[in-house]
Amino acid sequence: MDRSYKELLKLRRFPHTWCPGCGIGAVLKNVAMVMKELGWNYKNTVAVSGIGCSGRMSGYMNLDALHTPHGRPLTAAEAIKTVRSDLNVMVLSGDGDLASIGGNHLLHTSRRNPDITVFCNDNEIYGLTGGQAGPTTPQGTKTLTSPRGEHHSPLRLGRILTQQAPYFYARTTVYHLNHFKTCIREALLWKGFSFVDIISDCIELNGRRLGFKTAHQMFKWFDERFHIVEGERDQLQEDELGIAKAVVKEVPRPAEKEEVKPEIPMEGLKPFTLEELERFDGQEGRPIYMAYQGKVYDLSASPLFQGEKRMRCHLGGKDLTKDLDIAPHGEDLIFKFPLVGKME
Amino acid sequence: MKRLVSGNEAIFQGAIRVGANYFAGYPISPTSEILQQAALYSEENPGFRFLQAEDEIAAAIATISASLAGAKAFTATSGPGFTLMQEALGWGHVVEAPCVFVNSMRVGPSTGMPTQPAQSDLLQVKAGTAGDVYPLAFYPNSVEECFRLTATAFNAAEESLSPVILLADAFLSHLYELVDLEGSTLHIVPRTKDPLGSGQRLFTGAAHDKMGNVKTSDPVNYREWLRELKDRHDRVAERYPFFEYLPCKNSETLLIAFGMTSRVVLALKDRFSIFRPIRIYPVLEKELEEVSQSYRHIIVVEGNDGQYASWVECALCQKVMKVSCLGGGFKLKWIQSQIEDGLKGVGR
Repeated sequence: MDRSYKELLKLRRFPHTWCPGCGIGAVLKNVAMVMKELGWNYKNTVAVSGIGCSGRMSGYMNLDALHTPHGRPLTAAEAIKTVRSDLNVMVLSGDGDLASIGGNHLLHTSRRNPDITVFCNDNEIYGLTGGQAGPTTPQGTKTLTSPRGEHHSPLRLGRILTQQAPYFYARTTVYHLNHFKTCIREALLWKGFSFVDIISDCIELNGRRLGFKTAHQMFKWFDERFHIVEGERDQLQEDELGIAKAVVKEVPRPAEKEEVKPEIPMEGLKPFTLEELERFDGQEGRPIYMAYQGKVYDLSASPLFQGEKRMRCHLGGKDLTKDLDIAPHGEDLIFKFPLVGKME
Repeated sequence: MKRLVSGNEAIFQGAIRVGANYFAGYPISPTSEILQQAALYSEENPGFRFLQAEDEIAAAIATISASLAGAKAFTATSGPGFTLMQEALGWGHVVEAPCVFVNSMRVGPSTGMPTQPAQSDLLQVKAGTAGDVYPLAFYPNSVEECFRLTATAFNAAEESLSPVILLADAFLSHLYELVDLEGSTLHIVPRTKDPLGSGQRLFTGAAHDKMGNVKTSDPVNYREWLRELKDRHDRVAERYPFFEYLPCKNSETLLIAFGMTSRVVLALKDRFSIFRPIRIYPVLEKELEEVSQSYRHIIVVEGNDGQYASWVECALCQKVMKVSCLGGGFKLKWIQSQIEDGLKGVGR
């Protein structure tokens, strides 16, 4: 067996902090194995973790790694990717960190779709703090904070993360090893935000309370609960393991609109001299004509020239070209009115 | 060439001139203009990265992470947003991320009076986050100083390897003054930290040793680490002992004021001596002690209920008089009458 993946782990810090039988070790190992296959190492990869048992993962990776405050690894990863697009950025964290305290960041980082990969060790419990109910704890489960069974239904990460394309959501377990590795590989290679929901076990602080004696019994339970679905999917049912993904074609940014000035033929328009124009001043029932850039417009219909409200700034029968250059409004106001002639 | 510039613009331009290339923020009065300028600037300069985050928590985390990734990063907010950023600030001190947090203060607590100026986040700057931190904080009182001190804040951040706070107030943010930004020169401290992707380091918020090994139950290691952190900040602070002292020959009274309040009490400079701390943290203890020796009365005039006055009392080991301008009211006449009343009370 090829053990060269071990160079990606800080073995000098072993033994690690996790309990025997915990699924996190499998997550760390398999991610390292796939990284090795892909040639990812400390020169081109950064790992980011949050808080919790799973938050210790990045510290065991032989990379530059971040151990952020609780719930914030996604934001940190996004910022790193923004500044250093040449680096591969991955998040190694858990369900409590990503979906509960970091839930808002999950919504918005996935919406902004940075090219990062998230591995979520989903063990349905807060393990490090002793076994309190988490956001993904199934309804009815007894935990330290749900002594008579969890009242609320769990957060369905798969549903949330597959609502807005593009998305990549994979669900797998630490038991279905080949499938697990395929998901890791595809997620790491996905361009954009990819999320791998890894159903994992916490035997000591969840499993035993549920009646399991060993981690292996929990793995068999995973096998009963889930089945692998092959092929392209855009959604996954709650009992399915697989990859749901969707791409959207990149919509080109709308180019800034260029000002299109109406082209009006000057031929055939009635010529006006300035004296003639001055007669159309709106007094005694005469129409109001105004000149702008050599053209004469009929502004009689403008509410600004009616009765008492008559506009104070401009008088009828004038050439407005200079006035409009300094006016607070644009010239588009005048194009709305009928063209009646041209200046000589 | 001189032109009219607002405090917010001066802060943004100062950051750009000193090489800032990352900004993350969330809209809040009175610093939204900095966010808006950053958004526009990033559209025109692809080397400058910008994030309008979902909240101030994310903005602060992004700022620190971008700094670790190699960017000169900054963010800007006001009191309520600064409260949300406290978590990240504590983290920034522990992972040693050089970056700048601008806090333009408005009346608090909570939403308070969003458009009214205040100076009430002073204690929050020093003691808002869990544990002991030793932040550096500067507080300008003019648009020109906003520009220069932003650069100073970035430099001090690189030297102290920590988030440095630039304080301002709603008055200063929206104050327009004639300044020549393009013509002024700034000292720039280059990047001091290797960016991510060049080693096998762990940047953790947990207590750790010099190798980055997590040590969460070792008091000796923790004490060593904290002493080193404090020493480093003290060393850097010594390079920036900024204050302004306007002595008045006949006065037995020293007014201490900073930021916008110092602009208001400047009108009293012919009657009282005025001391204006520009470096708010670490507190200018030595300088305060020296200056205050020749005065019978010391009055701290500030836009909060005695936050800086308590530091002055600690530094001088004596009670001082307080004039608290609360709720955005900074009228000279009122301040003057408060000073007169106070002095009458103690027998002038």
